[in-house]
Amino acid sequence: MNDSQQLAEARRARTSSFFKKGVLIAIASGILYGVYGSFLTGATFWGEWIPWYGYLEGAQGAGWYDAGTSAIITNTLGTYAMPMSFLMAVLILGALGSGLNDFFSAIWMLIKAAIQGRLADFGRCFKSKPGLVMIVCALIGGPIASTAFLIALIMAGPIATPISALCPAIGAIIGRIIFKQELNFRMACGIVVCVIATFMIGSTAFTGLELTDPMFLAGLAVALISALGWGIEGAVAGFGTSVIDYNISITIRQVTSGVVTLFILVPVLFLFAGNVGLYPTMVIDALTGPLFTDGVLSSPLIILLISGLAAGLSFAFWYKGNSMCGAALGMACNGMFSFWVPFFSFLVLGLYMGGGEAYFLAPIQWAAAIVMVIGIFLIAVNPLDWFKKDKEA
Amino acid sequence: MLPLNYAILKLFENGDEYDVQGVEAELKGDYSSFRAFKSKAINESLMSAEKNGLLDEVRYELDDKQELHVYYKANEYGADMIKSYIK
Repeated sequence: MNDSQQLAEARRARTSSFFKKGVLIAIASGILYGVYGSFLTGATFWGEWIPWYGYLEGAQGAGWYDAGTSAIITNTLGTYAMPMSFLMAVLILGALGSGLNDFFSAIWMLIKAAIQGRLADFGRCFKSKPGLVMIVCALIGGPIASTAFLIALIMAGPIATPISALCPAIGAIIGRIIFKQELNFRMACGIVVCVIATFMIGSTAFTGLELTDPMFLAGLAVALISALGWGIEGAVAGFGTSVIDYNISITIRQVTSGVVTLFILVPVLFLFAGNVGLYPTMVIDALTGPLFTDGVLSSPLIILLISGLAAGLSFAFWYKGNSMCGAALGMACNGMFSFWVPFFSFLVLGLYMGGGEAYFLAPIQWAAAIVMVIGIFLIAVNPLDWFKKDKEA
Repeated sequence: MLPLNYAILKLFENGDEYDVQGVEAELKGDYSSFRAFKSKAINESLMSAEKNGLLDEVRYELDDKQELHVYYKANEYGADMIKSYIK
C-alpha cells in the first residue's frame, strides 16, 4: 500500500468508525426507551397507583374513551375521594407519572454532568441562545407532545401510538428542509418501511375502531401533534447537539421538562380539576404509597428512579445519535422503540411483575421488528455500494 | 468564559483551519483543567459539526507516526451560525 492509499484508508476508517458509533448510539437510544417505557408503566403496578388506575380500568367498559364520564380518584386508606372527568383523570395521572420520571431523570443527568465535570458548562449553556433553543425543544417534546399523546390515547385509542411514531419521518423532513441534511429517495423508502413496521406492531390493538366518530378523528389529529412535537425535537435538538455537548443538552432537556411538568403542568391540571390542595398529597402518595414485600422492584420510587435513569440515557443517546447520523437515520434507529417498548413490557411487566399473557408479543410484532431493521438498513446503506465493493474486490 | 464546545466552534468563525491538535493547542491555556478537554471528545465535536454542515473538511495528512490529521474550516453557513448563535 503506497502513501496515498494508506492516507485514504485511514480517512475511510475514521469516517466509518464515526458512522458506526452513531448508529449504535441511536439503536441504544431505542432500547433504553423500551426500558424507560416499561418501567414507567411498571410504577403504576404498585402503591397508590393501584387504586388510582383501578378506578379508570374498572370503568373501561363503561366508556374509557368518553371524556365526559366521571372517575373518582381515591387512595387505599380512603382519606380522599376526588371526582373528575376521565379526560382530566388520565391527564393528571399521565402527567404526574411523566413529571416524576423526568424530575428523577434530571437529577440523574445533573449527577452525571457533575461527575464528568460539566456542571459549570451546563449553567453557562442554560443562559445562552443555543441553550434557549434546547429549552424550547424540551417544552415541545416534553409537556406539549407528551400531553398531546395522552389526550390522543383517550380520544382515538391505541392507534395513537403508531401515529405518534411517525415522528422519525417528520424529523427527517424537518432535517432536510431546515438543516439541509441528506434525504434521498432510498432513505425516504426506508422511512416508509419503518412506518409500516410501526403500524404492524400496533395492529394487534386495532379492533373496533370507530372510523367516522368525530372524537376518534380529532384524536388522530392530536396524535399528529405529538408526532410533530417529537419530530421537531429530534431534528432541532439533534442539530443543536453539534453546538452543545450532548451530556449538557440532555441535562437542559430533563431539567426543563421535569420542572415544568411536575411543578407547573400538574398543579395547573389539579386547579382545572377543582382541587389544587390535593396536588402535594398525590405527589407524595405517588412515591411513598404502601410497599409490597415481594422483591426490590416493589416500590414506585425505585421503579421511577430506574425509569428516570433509562429515560435520561435514552434521550441523551437520541440527541447524540441524531447529531452523528443525521435526523433521518438517527430517528429511524431510535424509532425501533415501538418494538422495544412491548418487548421490555413483556420481560418486565409480563414475566417479572407477573402481568401475564396480556404483555406477550404477537408473531406479527416479531415480524415487524425484522421489517423495521430492513427499513433502517435501507436508510443507512445504499445496496448498490455492496455490489460496487464486490466488483472492487 | 464560554462552554468548551462553544469555544471550539468559536475558533472557526473567522475562516481559520484547525485539526484536533490545533484546537487543543489554542484552548489548552483556558480549558486544560476541564475533565472533558480530551482529544477524543474534541474529535467527535468536530466530526459532529461537519455532519451537521457547520464545518467542512479541507485537507488531511498522515504525520511521521502515521497518525491521521484532518483539518476543518467553517463554511459560510457555519460561520454565520457560529457568529449569530454563540456570543
